[in-house]
Amino acid sequence: MDDDGGIERLPRGRHGLSPEFVARNQRERLIAGLIQALYEVGYQKTTVSLIGKRAAVSKSDFYRHFGSKDECFVAAYDVAVERIRGQLLAACQEAEGGEWPQRIRSALAALLELFAAEPALASIALVEGLRAGRGVYDRYQVAVESFVVLMREGAPLGPEGTPVPEATDEAVVGGIASMLGRRVLAGEAERLSELFPEILEFALAAHLGAEEARRIVSAG
Amino acid sequence: MSSTRPELPREFVAGHKRRRMMDAIAELTSEQGYEATKIADIVRQAAVARKTLYDNFDGKEDLFLSAINSTMTEMRVVVEEACAHDGADPEAGIVAGLEALLDFIAAHPAAARMCMVEAISATPSSARLYDAGMREFVKLLQKRTTGNSDLPDTIEESLAGGVAWILQLQIRRGEAERAAELLPELSQFVLSPYLGVGKVVDTGRRK
Repeated sequence: MDDDGGIERLPRGRHGLSPEFVARNQRERLIAGLIQALYEVGYQKTTVSLIGKRAAVSKSDFYRHFGSKDECFVAAYDVAVERIRGQLLAACQEAEGGEWPQRIRSALAALLELFAAEPALASIALVEGLRAGRGVYDRYQVAVESFVVLMREGAPLGPEGTPVPEATDEAVVGGIASMLGRRVLAGEAERLSELFPEILEFALAAHLGAEEARRIVSAG
Repeated sequence: MSSTRPELPREFVAGHKRRRMMDAIAELTSEQGYEATKIADIVRQAAVARKTLYDNFDGKEDLFLSAINSTMTEMRVVVEEACAHDGADPEAGIVAGLEALLDFIAAHPAAARMCMVEAISATPSSARLYDAGMREFVKLLQKRTTGNSDLPDTIEESLAGGVAWILQLQIRRGEAERAAELLPELSQFVLSPYLGVGKVVDTGRRK
């Protein structure tokens, strides 16, 4: 990204790039431009021309890719969720073969790093997506549910020796998402990594009990 | 109503009309969403004159925000009272507060949907009201759980957020009336960080 928060544009004139490449690059820039604009000024004030400005793409080119701001928003939301999912899956894979707490630790650390490095991404995923109305809310719900599945893979029985109900993990994941959203809304996205130990403790507690979760977290 | 009971005081009738309009916008937005809800629908549903609506509210958004505010206040009061009822025992207080919240949602499904689902996406002001409401519930929970200084600072935020999420799923499934069934699992979820290992929560009268 350059100084005014735009996304690097392709060289002008004859560059020998295929039209498909140029189109794909433009589309990606528009999506990144919307995510950036949204973070700066919020949904209401994110206009097509501001998106174009951030993306260094003309308004008429915008309409070649998207029918409206909302259409671009939905596309951007899907991209944001895919980024998050990719980050989580990669972290889980890295911890492959390890115990369940290790996998959760790795996934959570990766998630918070991503949000801290890209506050605008955290904002669309956790805050703006919920505010955009029914269509995007459904996507938020699907994403949360898929993270619940990920969290339950290989999870141990609860502290009482019985399986932890799915609703509990839904509450854990939904609760973490909500708490992170409140922090992002308060402008604290860059500092989310500081919350790593306490969120990890919270995420582990439902399956391991509060004391064991605390022990694992403080053992590092 | 004034035609059948002409002796009712004017303030009572006026207050009742305000209530009817707020109930109407809750019903309508929970069925069709905020955007699709028109002033004409509201006055028809509430059986009031269009002028009455504009005498009481600046317009659709003002009515919507007033209705959310009123429901949230009511919700917070019943939860606060239920919590306080159990006196010194913070665990029993939290369970009682949760139970009151679930009962309220079950008894007022449309109003609950308006506050907990529609408010988030309807307008920037209604989203702010939702955030403020969440903050109130976080504070309420913190008030009941002080003394657990070894627990993470963000825990009440995550717990309140988790409860809200489960309730939103229930409301969006159209099962708000059965919210009370969630009491055992939600109590377990909210109390487990405070209770330590192996303690099962007693949710009292509901099996």
